[in-house]
Formats: sequence, C-alpha cells, structure tokens
Amino acid sequence: MKYCMKIQLTVFAMGLPFLDSFSNAAGRGVWHADELGLADAQVIATGHAALDAQLPGGGWPVGAMTELLQAAPEAHVWRLLLPGLAQAVQARGGPVVLVGAPYEPCGASLAAQGLPVESLMCVRSEAPAARLWACEQALRCADVAAVVAWLPQARVGELRRLQLAAAQHELLLFVCRPESVALSASPARLRLRAECCEADASQIELHILKRRGPPLAAPVLLPARNERMAALLAAARLRRKLRHQQQGTVPAGETAGARVVRIDAWKGGQHALDRLAVVA
Amino acid sequence: MHWIALRWLPEAITSGSPEAQALPTPEALGWWALQYTPHVAWQDEALMLEVSACERLWGGRLQLMRQLVAANPAPDVRMLGTQGATSLIALARLRLFVREEKRPADMPAGLPLDTLSAAREHLDLLARLGCRTWGDVAALPRGGLTRRFGAELRAALDTAWGLRPESHAWLTLPDVFEQKLELPALAETGPELMWSANRLLSALQIWLRARQRGARSLELQWTLDLKRFNGVNLPPHQQLTVRTAEPTQDMAHLRRLLSEKLALATLAAPASWLRLRTLETDPWAGASTSFLPEDNRKGDRLHEMVERLSVRLGAQQVVVPSAQADHRPERKQAWRPALHMNSSQPAKSARNDRAAASQPDAIYPPWLLPEPLLLEMDGERPCYRGPLSKLVGPQRVEAGWWGDKEEGGQPAMRDYYVAESPEAGLVWIFRERPSARFSSGEVRWYLQGFYA
Repeated sequence: MKYCMKIQLTVFAMGLPFLDSFSNAAGRGVWHADELGLADAQVIATGHAALDAQLPGGGWPVGAMTELLQAAPEAHVWRLLLPGLAQAVQARGGPVVLVGAPYEPCGASLAAQGLPVESLMCVRSEAPAARLWACEQALRCADVAAVVAWLPQARVGELRRLQLAAAQHELLLFVCRPESVALSASPARLRLRAECCEADASQIELHILKRRGPPLAAPVLLPARNERMAALLAAARLRRKLRHQQQGTVPAGETAGARVVRIDAWKGGQHALDRLAVVA
Repeated sequence: MHWIALRWLPEAITSGSPEAQALPTPEALGWWALQYTPHVAWQDEALMLEVSACERLWGGRLQLMRQLVAANPAPDVRMLGTQGATSLIALARLRLFVREEKRPADMPAGLPLDTLSAAREHLDLLARLGCRTWGDVAALPRGGLTRRFGAELRAALDTAWGLRPESHAWLTLPDVFEQKLELPALAETGPELMWSANRLLSALQIWLRARQRGARSLELQWTLDLKRFNGVNLPPHQQLTVRTAEPTQDMAHLRRLLSEKLALATLAAPASWLRLRTLETDPWAGASTSFLPEDNRKGDRLHEMVERLSVRLGAQQVVVPSAQADHRPERKQAWRPALHMNSSQPAKSARNDRAAASQPDAIYPPWLLPEPLLLEMDGERPCYRGPLSKLVGPQRVEAGWWGDKEEGGQPAMRDYYVAESPEAGLVWIFRERPSARFSSGEVRWYLQGFYA
C-alpha cells in the first residue's frame, strides 16, 4: 500500500505542475514508509556508527521508550547503552536511575568507560508494581538524565504509561525485557533484540524489531567487547600461540587473525596492583 | 482608628467536597493578617484588623479591602469583610452583612441591638423597654442602666461611640510553629489523620510565609485516647518525623511524604488529638527563576524524587555508589542510601577515591555479583554454565591483611582471570591462593562478575 501512495504522489506531481511546490513543501512532513523516518525530537548518538545508521534520526530517541530484549537480563546492556548514557549525563548532568538491576553495576568499570560513579542511582525492588511506580517517579523528575528499567512482567498498558511520562518530560528511557515478549505488542517506538552471534562470540547480533522505517533484513553486528578488552584478548591469544610455537605444537585454527597489539598498561595510574599482567 | 472585621463562612458553600473546606486554624488566619497590620485580634467570631496607621501603605481603605479579599488564605472558603470606625461597629456591620440586612442610615445609633455582644443576654428585657437599636439604649440614663444591666453594657456602648479606649490582646507570631488540633472523630488508622494534618500543614505554610522560613523537618504527634489496650500500657503519644533535604514552603511535597509515612504507620490505639511542630527551619531565600530553557525543565527536583522513593520503598532500596580506596572489588564501592547524598565525606578523601575509581586502564567487569559465587569444579577446571577457559590473567590482588571483622575478616589473596563460559560469555573469576595460614589447602574458584 505504501508503494501505491508513492506512485500516486509522483503521478500527481508530474501531471499537475502547480502541485510541485506543494509536494516539495509537504515532503518534509510526509514519511514514506520505505525510507528511514526522521526524528521528530532530539536524539542521542549511540556511540556505534553501524547502529546509528539504522536508527531513525541517527541515535536513541529522547522522550520515547526504547525496548531492549535479551536472553539474560544482564546481557549486553552496558555495551549497547553506555556511550549514549554517558553523553546524556554529560548533557543533562543528573543521575542515571537503574530500576531493578539484576546485579550491582561496577562503578570503576563504568567510570573507565565514561560514566562517572556519582551519576548512578539504583532502585532495588522486586515487586513489579513498585518498579513501575519508581520508574514513573524517576521519569517525572527534572534532574534525571536517563532511566534504565528491568521490567520483565510489565503489561502493555503500564508500558504505555511510562512511554507517555517519558514523552512528557523528554527523557531517555530504556526498558529491558526478556526475549519471549518479542511477538507481543508494545508501545515502544524502538524495539531491539540483542543476542550473541552464533558464528563469532565477539559480535553482538542486533535485530531491530520495530522502528520508523523499513524492516531490517540483516541484523546489525556490533563488537561485543570494548577496544581495551578486545586488544587484551588478542594479546593473550598471541602469547599463547608463541608459547605453543616454542613448544613446537601449533594448535589448528589459531594461526591466522592474531594481531600484535600494544597495551598502554604502564602509562599513568598509581597502584602497581591495578596494572594488567598478561601471561599465557 | 479604623477597623476591618473579617469572617470565613465554610458553611456558605454547598457544592464542593468536604476536603476543600479544610480551613487553617484560627491562629494561623491571624498570622496571615499580621502581614497587613501589627494590630490583629480575634473578637467573638471575627478577625479584627486595626488599620488606621497602615492604610496609606496599602493604597487606601478600598485598595486594602480588595487586596485582603484577593489574598484569601483559604481560597475555597468565602471570606466576608466590613469596616467601621470602632471594632464594635465593624463587627456589627459584619453581622448584618452575614444576615444580608441593609446597613442603617445613622451609623452607630441605628444598628439593631442584637448585633452588640454585650446586649445579647438582656435582649428580651430591652425589647420590652422599647429599645431596638443601639441609640435607644444609649439614650437611657447612665446610672439606671449601669445598676440594672451591669457595667459591661454601658462600657460597650461607650466603646462603640469612641468615648472609651479599646483594649485588645494582639496576636503575635510565635518563634516556633506548634499547633494542636482535636480530630473531628477518633482516628484508628494512619490515613484518617490526614485530613486534620492537612489543616495543620496549611497553618504551617502561613507561619512559614510570615516568618520567611522554609521547613526542613517536622514532627507530627498524635495523642492516644486509651491508656491501656489489650493489657499493654500505652505511651500517651506517638509521633513520626518528616525530613526533606532542601527547605521548602511548598506543602504538596511535605503532604506526600506525610501521607506515605502515615500509610505505613500503625496507631497503637485510637487517636484524639493531633499536634504538628517544626523541628528545623532554615531562612527562605525565595525561588530563583531563570529564562534559560535548560534551567526550566518541568518536573520534580531530584531530592523530592529521592525522598518520595525512599519513604515508600525504604531508604536502603534507593542507593548511590561511592568509590572507596580498596583493591578488593566487592569493597571498591560502597552503596549508601541516596537520602544522605548531600552529607558527603570530606572533599579530599572523596577526590582520592574518585581518582582510584576512574583509572582508565582497569578492566573491571561492568556487572559485579554482590557476593563472590563459589564455582563447581570439573576436575581441575572451574565450571559456570559449562567449563570455563581462562583467557587473560592472572591479575594478583593481595589486600586486607590488616583488617579485622568489619574490614573483611581475613586477608584476600586472589588471582583474577578473565574466562569464557560457553553460555554466559566472558566472566571474571578468581582463585583463592592457597596460603599456609589461612586456607585449608584445596583450591577454590569464585565467580565475581560478568562482562556481558
């Protein structure tokens, strides 16, 4: 149907020249369903260029709910959200409220990746109703930068309420839910499903289930580890290979792909205990 | 002398819910009037304001009346106001106004006799004497009137004509807010106290505005009606305290905190009296305004949200991390209740801790387990959702050898590894290093965090 609409528009524009200017002017307000939609509100870049290219407006929508579906509640959350959250904290300056986080976030790790420790606030609660209430209260607060909530049992009506609150107060809202709800309806403007890549464990497969744009044919692939971790793993692999070579046995499958990576582990810092010791 | 008499008529409105008619206490209404003139007193049912010295400040009598009506402290309740040369005349005119009668032509003499409080007990006799107005009584001979009806009636008439000075006990603003109120009915549960607490809160708001202070902590106390209940001796009072981080004159926030606390409170016995007092107040600087859009975001303040969450869920459920200078990951950050965010540690140690927490090259996992999880062993290899293969490590941590019980009990001697689990992805595990003194000799592996 969307193609019919487009063809009709083109026919009109060709046949009636005075409509040309009109269709040009209206073009900005018209979203063709086969193109990626424009953001009608502010967005915050995700920090992953491959993902930005597939999102309407080029980032996480501010003032709308983004739903993240994963197999385990802790999986991939920080890898996907952390750059965006760090930007939001820098721009707005308030805390990121985590409602019902599955484990304790480690401040040192997040601080190393750009999210300061003092901009975290955790609401621990097991009851679904209390989580929803806390979420809504956090959304109504003017000083909060973003809300990340784990709501495995939320119903559609409750999610819609949160979506409205986020729209009213123009906040980043991420809701993490289990994979099993992928087929049910949701008021979220953007729905993503993240899973580990079967072929390569160092990649995240990101399926965009819902967005303002055409359905995504192939999933977006993102690195599952940050640069530092990837470099560390590559260096460890290289060491292992060298040691095997010295011992005269080269295991199959580990010959190609290893790069020499320099780690600036000795630069700066205070405690020798915190440095990395890479041994095979 | 010029007097204004004010009266609030809660029963005058028939529409509207009973909650809307919660009038502040009479003292509080007096405190509100103190902003216009220092001479305020309650006389019978009316609040009397003596304004001869200050009416010029407010732009004349008419202007002052308009301002009084516009700034009604109880907007849901109709306020009536009249003026007069003496307090008795103003009061009599107010009574006529309430009865919706016209004012007489000659002012003090033509007023009907039942509008004079001092003549009320003698009304029948005076009517039989043929006296219907103030002027009729004032025309009676002085000596006979005093002997027959007592000195008060003659004195009141003299006062009304301005022949005698008036004396009043002027209201003053107390230094500490403390108000008591009897409940309309015995309350058995916490939420039933809320209606009367609302009246006290609106009185508190008037007091705070008059004193130009903001409330930081309040105490609500209720008197128990029973001395013994189910064989247990009861204390005479029960109370709860409400605190807020920033001084406020906004009662909506305090009301929410109070109602959340009252919903959790249990009354040991039915309560009959309610008392509210301020524990801490701060000078009120006024609300600052800004034209910049980023300063004018709509929504609550952060401390209001934190207080609201903490009061319903419990202070231990709303927490913020603070960095600590320790190498054991489970002690590297401490979770404190977000309520005490502002009462922070000294600046220098905070800066050190922050520096320790933000080393850019540390490879901590983003998720930590609250307690290290003892892993099962498959021969030599630890298992967590499948056998683990160590990728990076060891990173050696030796800490806590100085500590006593609350510092962690025993020294931590650990070798940390980044390992890969076939199902859970990258995990952070450690091996307790066997040491001669503190361990039994067997090798134990623990899971501490997830890189997922």
